[in-house]
Amino acid sequence: MTTPTIPPPSSHPGLSPAAAVGAASLWLWMAAVIWAAFLWAPPASGFKNVYSSRILFFHVPMAWVSLVAFLAAGAWSVAYLTRGRRRRHDRAAAVAVELGLVFCLLATLSGSIWSRLEWGAFWNWDPRQTSIVLALVFYAAYLALRSAVEDEPTRSRLAAAYAVLGLVVAPFLFFVLPRLTFSLHPQPVVNAEGEIGMDPRILVVLLAGSAGFTALFFWIHSLACRVRRLTGGNAD
Amino acid sequence: MWRWLAEATAVLAKDWRSEARTRYALNTLALFAVTTLVLVSVGLGPLGVSAAGAQVLPFLLWIVLLFATAAGLPRAFVQEEETHTATALRLAARPSAVFWGKLAYSLSLTLALEALVAPLFLAMVQLEVASPGLLVATLAAGGFGLAATSTVIAAIIAQARARSTLFSVLSFPILVPLLLLVVELTRDAVAGEAAGPALRQLLLYDGSVAVAGSMLFPAIWNP
Repeated sequence: MTTPTIPPPSSHPGLSPAAAVGAASLWLWMAAVIWAAFLWAPPASGFKNVYSSRILFFHVPMAWVSLVAFLAAGAWSVAYLTRGRRRRHDRAAAVAVELGLVFCLLATLSGSIWSRLEWGAFWNWDPRQTSIVLALVFYAAYLALRSAVEDEPTRSRLAAAYAVLGLVVAPFLFFVLPRLTFSLHPQPVVNAEGEIGMDPRILVVLLAGSAGFTALFFWIHSLACRVRRLTGGNAD
Repeated sequence: MWRWLAEATAVLAKDWRSEARTRYALNTLALFAVTTLVLVSVGLGPLGVSAAGAQVLPFLLWIVLLFATAAGLPRAFVQEEETHTATALRLAARPSAVFWGKLAYSLSLTLALEALVAPLFLAMVQLEVASPGLLVATLAAGGFGLAATSTVIAAIIAQARARSTLFSVLSFPILVPLLLLVVELTRDAVAGEAAGPALRQLLLYDGSVAVAGSMLFPAIWNP
């Protein structure tokens, strides 16, 4: 196993120029998204409570990111198991799950508040609500597994196997759930694929918000991975 | 290939032989299942939870089965760790033989449990089943899914702390699609309706977990 190399100290500690430009662009992008969400995009018609419909510009991207986090954790887990059991893959998977948990919680809470305002109840067991709560439970289970194993290689191996198992089983929810309950989530209007019927400005802000939150996720992820690596590996 | 089969059968036979010596499954697991069943039936009977329960009864059957298997199946691997025979097993048989042998053992336990619990449940809650064939198919396919998932998760938690609670925590998220499908099918069986896509999806789930489990097992089992 190669010894990890520590980069030599530079005269400009902190971000490299490329990273600084990237971070600044992301900052501006997200600021623009927030401004647009409140001021530029029109209120979504077809909603009972048109003012609170702006929550969709935050709720939808965060739900999207929690899905991205799930897939990323699965991909890194597969990489860990098949490409030489490298610690950085396991670290990346664990951080992705932790971040995914945060985004998932925020998406669930924002969705629940919106659901109360729009449909009168905090929770309805609509298929998307059910999927997100199951994702939440799965993330928590993954983290519980990690905390129950002391030996690091064993922990990484078992957690990776569990994540891959979750990845295999998750698609079944997409077939099964919609059949069992009707959906409160209006497909053509709020669907991120942008069916006809969505005002183009809403669509633009939604997509821009999704891209921004995804970039934010990966940026926080890379920072957290670096911190973990420097503070001594998998200090979960 | 015959050698593999011999190894897998040996694992299965060893587990049944050790079961015959302790009679754990017979005494403790069956008792747990029957006790849970009685508890559920008491809620429906003497406590008088009414026949709005007809929709909920299939679900209750599967909850009893789920908790009974969660109580009993992890033993397949946990016992190996506790009696320190896991290393010997790793030496004696290749991982895939261990996986399929343990799966066969878990499956046989699950099917035996279902054969005990399901008729008792139907009798105690007075539930008439219009399509018994569909119910048997559901119990068999659902039982396989429970056994396959339990085998993989048991192998994972046997190497962790807080095993019994961790088993439930890990297995329930994975089992949700199974639970949804088997309850839907059981309701169809009770009502006498055709199975719809659910049976196909259940078999697909079973196959996916078995294949994924057999592919992941070497990584889980071998240090």
